[in-house]
Amino acid sequence: MKWYESFRKMSLNHKLALALFLFGFIALFAGDPYGGARTEINTKEMALIVEKQVDHVSAVELADWIIKNRADYRLVDLRTEKEFAEYAIPTAENIPLTGLTDAGLQRNEKIILYSEGGIHSAQAWFLLKAKGYKSVYMLFGGLDEWKDQVLFPTQPENPSPEQLAVFAKAKEVSKYFGGTPQTGAESAVTRPQSAMPKLSLPTGGVGTQRPRAKKKEGC
Amino acid sequence: MSAPFYKYGLFNDEVSLIVAVFIGLGFGFFLERAGFGNGRKLAAQFYFTDMTVLKVMFTAIVTAMVGVYYLSIFGFLDLSLVYVTPTNLVPQITGGLILGIGFVIGGYCPGTACVSASTGRYDGWAYVAGLFAGILFFGEVFHLFEKFYTSTAMGKVTLPQLFHLPYGLMVFLVCIMALGAFAAAEWGEKKMAAKKED
Repeated sequence: MKWYESFRKMSLNHKLALALFLFGFIALFAGDPYGGARTEINTKEMALIVEKQVDHVSAVELADWIIKNRADYRLVDLRTEKEFAEYAIPTAENIPLTGLTDAGLQRNEKIILYSEGGIHSAQAWFLLKAKGYKSVYMLFGGLDEWKDQVLFPTQPENPSPEQLAVFAKAKEVSKYFGGTPQTGAESAVTRPQSAMPKLSLPTGGVGTQRPRAKKKEGC
Repeated sequence: MSAPFYKYGLFNDEVSLIVAVFIGLGFGFFLERAGFGNGRKLAAQFYFTDMTVLKVMFTAIVTAMVGVYYLSIFGFLDLSLVYVTPTNLVPQITGGLILGIGFVIGGYCPGTACVSASTGRYDGWAYVAGLFAGILFFGEVFHLFEKFYTSTAMGKVTLPQLFHLPYGLMVFLVCIMALGAFAAAEWGEKKMAAKKED
């Protein structure tokens, strides 16, 4: 018990210094607090989220948010730079899948992912969820759904009054985003591939206010 | 439950201001208790006769570092959400020198000036008045040197990123550095005291 006696005789300062040394020494082996590229996931929790389908946002919903100029989300386009330059949903930012975790997305912000169909965004969703991002959503059906529902909505055949009302609203939304609503039976045939709206559209404030309303921080 | 509480939405902007008041009071209290309300004691640091400032500040730094490191290792804190001030090397060194010059001349830094003012010292009040005048002046002429202010931007860098060292190793090295600084400070104080007696 000699070491114990000498420890007791140490001044408080020396005890604290010893504690600091020990904490520093243990840190050598304790790893990276940022977690690096390795991660652990709760597979059950993930499966539940997928099953309950609370992980997606529909194209119509997203269009509504953009029109309302909501700024509480970040819309992430996972396609290539070239595709992004051709057309992207207003307010979107282009982040490739490999750069996702280094792109400065915050774990506590609402992130909406989209790709051409749904596969890439689903995979990206999984990556972000596994890295502990709290609220990640996918655009249901991806850009294809955005085209079908928002840019080129099709009037159903023999519509009921309710369906007509819904379509009337869809027409407005479509025009807002520079799309062309499809009416009549010929729509399926005439729907042009080339009619994607120009990137500058729509005007009217969308995209001018980036969702990153960052607060000034620091001392 | 994990921190930072504010970023996880545990409380809003208004509550965060109230929290800030309490943290600020605590900070000021401990500065005062360390003797930092006294300009003479603070200035003595620059003449190496009293190394309290170095010891207190370095203690605060390593305590925070070890605390933050272990809290995030054990999952209580999400370090990626903790704000890191972006580095602009040359303007920040310049700013540090200006602050240092003011510190040597008058014996206070902004925080200790407030502590000293709140304990009723006139030099502290003069300092706080100068502080606000300076802020106002800086705001008015900011556009003249905005370019310099944002030059040599390095982004949000931390020591492990800068030196490409593992995080744990960096923690260890800073601990060793602090222990070395404490030992050197104690040794220096004894030397200076002996010199005084001669």
